[in-house]
Amino acid sequence: MTEELSESRARGPRVWAVGGGKGGVGKSVIATNIAASIARGNESVALVDADLGGANLHTLLGVPSPKANLSDFISKRVSSLGEVMTPTPIENVWLVSGAKALVEMANPNFSQKSKILRHINALEVDHVVLDLGAGTSFNVLDFFLSARKGVLVVVPEPTSVENAYHFLKAAFFRKLKRAQPRAQVKAAIKEVMNGSSRSKVKTPRDLISQVWSVDPDVGAALVAEASSFRPALIVNRIDHPSHERLGEDIVSACRDYFGIRLQFLGSLPNDKLVVRSVVEQKPAAQFFAQIPFVNAMRGVVGNMTYVRPRAS
Amino acid sequence: MTIRPEDWEILGLEPGADIGQVRRAYRHRKSLYEPAALATYNLLDDEERDGMVDRIEDAYRRIIGSEPPAAPEAPSPATRPQAANEVVIGNAPDPLSDPGAHLRFHRMAKGFTLHQIAVETKIGVAILEQIENEDFEVLPAPAFVRGHVHQFARELKLADAYEFAKFYLTKMQGGDTEADE
Repeated sequence: MTEELSESRARGPRVWAVGGGKGGVGKSVIATNIAASIARGNESVALVDADLGGANLHTLLGVPSPKANLSDFISKRVSSLGEVMTPTPIENVWLVSGAKALVEMANPNFSQKSKILRHINALEVDHVVLDLGAGTSFNVLDFFLSARKGVLVVVPEPTSVENAYHFLKAAFFRKLKRAQPRAQVKAAIKEVMNGSSRSKVKTPRDLISQVWSVDPDVGAALVAEASSFRPALIVNRIDHPSHERLGEDIVSACRDYFGIRLQFLGSLPNDKLVVRSVVEQKPAAQFFAQIPFVNAMRGVVGNMTYVRPRAS
Repeated sequence: MTIRPEDWEILGLEPGADIGQVRRAYRHRKSLYEPAALATYNLLDDEERDGMVDRIEDAYRRIIGSEPPAAPEAPSPATRPQAANEVVIGNAPDPLSDPGAHLRFHRMAKGFTLHQIAVETKIGVAILEQIENEDFEVLPAPAFVRGHVHQFARELKLADAYEFAKFYLTKMQGGDTEADE
């Protein structure tokens, strides 16, 4: 056990990013409860408020005013991200509080971003949970793609589902673009993202087959890149039996239409006690250990952190 | 009609899945691409949606079509022609005791394939087939079946489609239609 832990520390923490196209779907509440749920298994977690424009995880955790935050790190007032980690009321959970209300913090440049990512991977914890902001800006996408697993949160509403597809598409193309900077691929991606109706290329699937027909080598590279893109999905706030199949349906539709393989982690029920836990600034996973939301969360975290045993 | 490898993929199945899995996968896939389905509501335009449904229908027909024909059902008074181009002979099976066979008889007499009926009525091939086979265990709730049968019968221009749907439901719900009264 100790050996396993030290081994995992040596390899750096396992990084989970919680994102999704839309605001208000419960990303921060879910990120917080994922952290609390992992921590109950006696592993250490750093919860990073990567919503660079509108951080509020400290409030969810009941940490009123963290003495240091990401702004201090970005502006080099502190030299390592580890120094920004603040203890929280939850045992084994540390908070890296987000940058506060500084417009320039919402858009760090490339070197600031890589520095944040480098420091995240050097944190001396078993897990890092990144709470991402809404939208599909490059920052959000880059943090999402840098994680071991990017987790998408959706609620059973058409707007949220629509945004989730948009987010997936954007993340996917961002990944391809970073991996394959050839001009022709970039142009094809741009065409897809602009949604030109005359274009035959509408989905990642179309893009890959198009590129393949022009240049099989690049096509093969894109296929390899595509098959390593395997984000996960959580459906939040389900309150009707018909919502139970939404997660699997989105997985099927993504596969059919985009050629993207999503991993469905589970659905979380709409639970009034979760709202109460937010109002009282106590993470549900810690203080309402038996409510349906927390039970479902345990299943989600189990699926998320499950490592298939290696065939030896 | 032979099965292409992608037919399994389209239905999200492993090659060689059994007939029950194929039917379930087909129903699930069809419902996924219904116009109001939450998961695909904003994902596809009408043309893409139709294209996706066609691919699913096509894959399903290829897989089902190459299955060995099912063993003939226990005492069935009517001979059930298996293909649209077979010559239809004799009189229509009794609508009261054999409503499914009655539908099939009239469909074939008019030279329609299940697919053609599916296109017109927007009812899936699988459901139409189940209606003809009187697969009551797998058909949806009676309220839906009544609507489907009504549409199916109307498409075939049966004399009284509404009355016929009632016969069908009576048999489906276990009513004894064999009796004279």
